[in-house]
Amino acid sequence: MTDSEILTAIAEVARDHGLWEGPLDRDLRLIEDLELDSLKALTLAVEVENRFRVCLDPEIEATVVTVGDLVDMVRRELAH
Amino acid sequence: MRTDQPTLIDLLRRAGAFHEVGLRLLDRSERASWFPWSEVSRRAEDTCGRLQRLGLEPGDRVGLVFPTSIDFIDTFFGVILAGAVPVPLYPPVRLGRLEEYLSRTSRMLSAVSPRMVLADERVRRLLGTAVRDVAPELGCLAPRELPASDGRPVARAANDLALIQFSSGTTVDPKPVALSHRAVVAQAVALNAHWPDSCDHVHSGVSWLPLYHDMGLIGCVITALERPGSMTLIPPELFLARPAVWLRAISRYSATVSVAPNFGYGLCVEKIREEELDGVDLSSWRIGLNGAEPAVPRVMRRFQRRFEQWGLRPETLTPVYGLSEAALAVTFSGLDGPFVSRTFDREALSRRGQAVESFDGLEIASVGEPIDGFQLRILDARKRDLPARQVGRLWIRGPSLMEGYFDRAEATDEVLEDGWLDTGDLGFLYDDELYLTGRAKDVLILRGRSHSPTEVEASVDHVEGVRTGCSVAVSWLPDGADGEVMLLLVEAKNGVPQDSFGEIAERCRAAVRAATGLTADLVEVVAPGTLPRTSSGKLRRQESLRRYLGDELLPPDRVTALRLAGVAVRSSFELARMRWNGRR
Repeated sequence: MTDSEILTAIAEVARDHGLWEGPLDRDLRLIEDLELDSLKALTLAVEVENRFRVCLDPEIEATVVTVGDLVDMVRRELAH
Repeated sequence: MRTDQPTLIDLLRRAGAFHEVGLRLLDRSERASWFPWSEVSRRAEDTCGRLQRLGLEPGDRVGLVFPTSIDFIDTFFGVILAGAVPVPLYPPVRLGRLEEYLSRTSRMLSAVSPRMVLADERVRRLLGTAVRDVAPELGCLAPRELPASDGRPVARAANDLALIQFSSGTTVDPKPVALSHRAVVAQAVALNAHWPDSCDHVHSGVSWLPLYHDMGLIGCVITALERPGSMTLIPPELFLARPAVWLRAISRYSATVSVAPNFGYGLCVEKIREEELDGVDLSSWRIGLNGAEPAVPRVMRRFQRRFEQWGLRPETLTPVYGLSEAALAVTFSGLDGPFVSRTFDREALSRRGQAVESFDGLEIASVGEPIDGFQLRILDARKRDLPARQVGRLWIRGPSLMEGYFDRAEATDEVLEDGWLDTGDLGFLYDDELYLTGRAKDVLILRGRSHSPTEVEASVDHVEGVRTGCSVAVSWLPDGADGEVMLLLVEAKNGVPQDSFGEIAERCRAAVRAATGLTADLVEVVAPGTLPRTSSGKLRRQESLRRYLGDELLPPDRVTALRLAGVAVRSSFELARMRWNGRR
């Protein structure tokens, strides 16, 4: 899966769950730009895991700031 | 001393003989793992041996940091069998805010001086800084790292400490609620006595509540142990992301009892799509407890209407009241009919503290009558008993009150007096049933969890244009809302022009979200000196809220500025309300 496919899939997850309607790009920050509160961030994490059938690492997850960080993390998990 | 009172150790030994009932854990794909009590008990003995080999002794506190998993169940009961005291703590939140999580965990750990911390393998690596501060003598370990060894469960008395759970307002000033075996067992016995098995049905439960919370741990796991009965556990994050999982589990396992805070019922109405409930039948569900935050009649009616086509019974939803200092439940409304609510005259309630029924006004759900062994008193400010239908402060007495806040004698003396506990909640009795109207203490209750207002207030201290230390955060339940709403009132710095108040409000909202993960539903920037203070200069939160709602929140002097501010407050209130309604 390429980065842009991962990004598109994440954008679909975000739209399906009412988290973000517009286009997603790598530089958007989850908290500041997407305005995710705890419940929305959790929904995004759980549904991204479900969509890609991966289990995100809590240690790496804690360092995620932008959409791009999330894409990178998914790519690494898929490579395992 | 009486020796016939059972401890949790006795309950686990007794349940160990049962192979047909137990705990079922669902994973992210809703696949079940089944652990009959015989197996839970055997595994706990194994964990107990390992802990004893490491040197764990009776009375030692052990921090437990796990998601909903068999590891939590193994370590919790293993620690209990070793005579030590488990202290369940939150696992990290998802996607960020690690610093906030670590400092909170560190404060909670230091409040109980644990001799050991046990954590999920993946979480453990994150806990470094939080654990370093308290330096538990026996270390911070994952269950897999415990050395195998035979052990022997320790004898404990009913008065010994069983567990410590954290109470509301835990974020800034964590208050560790210390519960004895007697209290925890008494709570489980009282709950189970409320819905005995009959020849028609044997009760069983489903819960998505976190196990570091009294409703999940004592209300679900320990009541199932005491019965012994079966309980299906769903990871809370799975429910929050996909609430249909909860209703599907109730249907699949024909559960009769399940409990959630009010927002959980609202989340189901909002998020569940029809196609997610194909083939679901909720007719087995007899008791749907609604507690931990105010039970909102409108939300319960919406839930009722929405899910009755899947067989939800009209008598299922049951508002209840409790608090962690009482181990859990204090009052229960009737189980045989639909929930009861009454509408009271708003003016009489807010001005005179009198409950006068009226056609139009504030609708409040009854949380019912005290459960076995509990007594209620409604007292005025001088601690004199008030008559029925008069609003006052709720004090309670009963068999499952905490021993106190662990190692916090002063904080304990503030709330416990001659065997009575000051709940800090306000309410009145009407036809012997309890109705709650608000809180005397400044706790924010949002989505079933309590938060300290100071943490929210501190997060805006360094926002540009804000007068440091001059903000208040309060929450309340507005008319027509599905849950409590957070209002943040912020004073601007001297000399900041009024036309920048809107931008400052936006910056504050973002700062709160970044620091706490909470959404401030309404943010209002006001002129310096506007917020009411005590004679010693402390900001008064509840009075600020009262004035805000009454449109009486006005700057100190200057007539023209005052009028302007009044208009600004109202118009941005309308704006914020629109935003709030639009989000739903």
